[in-house]
Amino acid sequence: MKRQAQLSRVAAGSVAVLLGLALTACGSGSGSASGGGDKIHILVYGDASNKVETQIVDTFNKTSKVKAVLDTVPGADYQGKLQTVISTKQAPDVFFNWGGGSIAPFVKAGLLLPLDDMIQQDPALKSDFLPSVFNSAVIDGKAYGIPMRGTQPVMLFNNKKVLADAGVSEPKTWDELLSAVQALKAHGVTPIALGGGDQWPTLMWFEYLFDRVAGPGLFEKALGGDKSAWAGEDSKKALGMLKQLVDAGAFGTNFDSVKYTDGGSPALLARGKAGFELMGSWEYSTQQDASPDFAKSELGYSSFPTVTGGKGDPGALVGNTNNFYSVLKKTKHPEAVAEFLKLQYSDDFVKAQLAIGNLPTTTNTLDFVAAAANPDYSKFQFDLVKQASTFQLSWDQAYPQTASTPMHQAVQQFFNGQMDADAFIKAMQALPTS
Amino acid sequence: MTTIAATAVDRRRPAGRSVTSATRPGFAWALPATVFFVLFAIVPLVLVAVLSVMSWDGIGSPQFSGTDNWVKLFHDPVMIKSLWLSVLLTVLGVVVQTPISILLGVWAAGHQRNRAVLSAVYFVPLLLSATAVSVLWRALLDPNFGVPSEASWLFGDGNLFGSQSGAVGVLAFVGAWQFTPFHTLIYQGAARAVPPVLYQAAQIDGAGTVRQFFHITLPQLRNTIVTSVILMVVGGLTTFDTVLILTQGGPGTDTTISAYYMYQKAFKGFDFGVASAIALVLVVVATVISLAVVRLSGYDRMRSTSEGL
Repeated sequence: MKRQAQLSRVAAGSVAVLLGLALTACGSGSGSASGGGDKIHILVYGDASNKVETQIVDTFNKTSKVKAVLDTVPGADYQGKLQTVISTKQAPDVFFNWGGGSIAPFVKAGLLLPLDDMIQQDPALKSDFLPSVFNSAVIDGKAYGIPMRGTQPVMLFNNKKVLADAGVSEPKTWDELLSAVQALKAHGVTPIALGGGDQWPTLMWFEYLFDRVAGPGLFEKALGGDKSAWAGEDSKKALGMLKQLVDAGAFGTNFDSVKYTDGGSPALLARGKAGFELMGSWEYSTQQDASPDFAKSELGYSSFPTVTGGKGDPGALVGNTNNFYSVLKKTKHPEAVAEFLKLQYSDDFVKAQLAIGNLPTTTNTLDFVAAAANPDYSKFQFDLVKQASTFQLSWDQAYPQTASTPMHQAVQQFFNGQMDADAFIKAMQALPTS
Repeated sequence: MTTIAATAVDRRRPAGRSVTSATRPGFAWALPATVFFVLFAIVPLVLVAVLSVMSWDGIGSPQFSGTDNWVKLFHDPVMIKSLWLSVLLTVLGVVVQTPISILLGVWAAGHQRNRAVLSAVYFVPLLLSATAVSVLWRALLDPNFGVPSEASWLFGDGNLFGSQSGAVGVLAFVGAWQFTPFHTLIYQGAARAVPPVLYQAAQIDGAGTVRQFFHITLPQLRNTIVTSVILMVVGGLTTFDTVLILTQGGPGTDTTISAYYMYQKAFKGFDFGVASAIALVLVVVATVISLAVVRLSGYDRMRSTSEGL
């Protein structure tokens, strides 16, 4: 009995110590995170591009009294971490985002600072950026983001050698694409590489074809809550054309088992097993990393084919216009933040981005493009973005986040035949728009 | 004086009872574990239960929404399908892994040197993280550059992840590949604990290897089987990493098991209320199935297999 009593005392004592430790740990954690009065915190997506962000922060800190602190969160955790801290004391002053739907909930919750006053004091904050890019972070007529990093339009990439062997040239129109598919199939290769297992590469085909057939209006209407837009004639026509493309064997039969993220579909293109791949501009750096020789000599690129009779502008683009810095309303140092944002159109910023293969979207980017990893490619891309009448933000970024999973599923099921056009339309109509 | 008197009293106690009190120590021994269990299991569970009647997208404070999340969930075809898929994968896991790991475990329980080497090889998958295992199999099963492209007579066009049967089959296979070693290890230990006298007696009575296996080894492993099955059930119902990397719940929603659906709702859709409700459903289902296994197997009566020795 005595031993037991002793034991329980020891146990209780150790528990108390442990609890005490846990509590003090919590206490010191929250204390340090509340932030000093003379600092601004910049929260960014953690990846290779952080090199430039670190450099910009260093430049800023050399002259500024209020010091900037760069906080990076590894890519996969970024969105979740941002969402959990943004309405707490630990919220950053400035944070990285994708514009559009990715900040809409924060705007709605009244957390973000409209940047129009800053722009009024320094018009270059707006006028030094390409308008089609700048506008994708404008919500309800107010600017909520300043472009940072590089633009990512979606383009039709190809393997020059495969195309030449099959006697096919870069398709300018949808009909040329269809006949290229036939020729490539006859040549014994998969006409178009598609990482269908990831779902978002499939979505790119919808984004472009809907834009070419119906123009940007259809998607804008649908995003605005007008669900009838999905059931219109244009929508049905675009879906019919996609079905025709899939049924023609353009993507082969095993695209659902192929991914982009594990290097599967880029390898199909690089090793000559496929003729085309529709992908964001990061395809170049992906190929440069995995198959440098191919990227250098055989990787071709063109804009998405035009559709005869389509209402869309043949120059219109889809993709991620750029990433943005948005500002929290409760920042204690709006002047310092304004000074920091000005660095995003500085020459140093543009040069640093080009050096790591990103294509920044300031109006003077072309002056420095000769220093880029591949000047021809950068120039082609820059002209595309500059001349684009509209730049449709990827659907899954434009819609609220709750929509992305059901949207991806519908897109996959339409391509693999589990869903017909009517079911797809219903699925899109069921997506939450706000 | 009192101590001596107490010892004297103890001597007069029946032997069996004093043994019982020596092997069943007081509650104090369980206290540290209980405190941790309450802190890291019960408290979060209560918080999740509270969150399941709230609507929260991670911004600002949660709003009370009553039974909204639950009503949504019960009318959600994906949720119902995901539960069936979770149960299907669990059952497949138990059915595939149990016989293999019993046979391997009993075999590895021998003491010859070649067995030690071979069982070490069998246990290698146990050392790899689930993520590494999934990435590995994803690459091996790539339709264009993996095994299927070399063996098209078996895999056809290699579209394993493009159909429900293919994707579920891959998940069950990878799960078995990863976890069979663990259960083999448990069975190896249990098989080694079977008293050798039983086999000696059986041999004298003229029983062959097969009879010894069915009449001595299997009955002696009963409690181990129950433990192993419960672990498989809990593991199966909470399978997540393999689905995340191998199929991402696809094609469509064909491999969206409940745990993955919860992740999608919470960290893709930022609907933490519904995700919490799914978590609670999983807790209830796992508890019910585990209890059922315990009850049906008579494990709760804790009958020792060494009785009568």
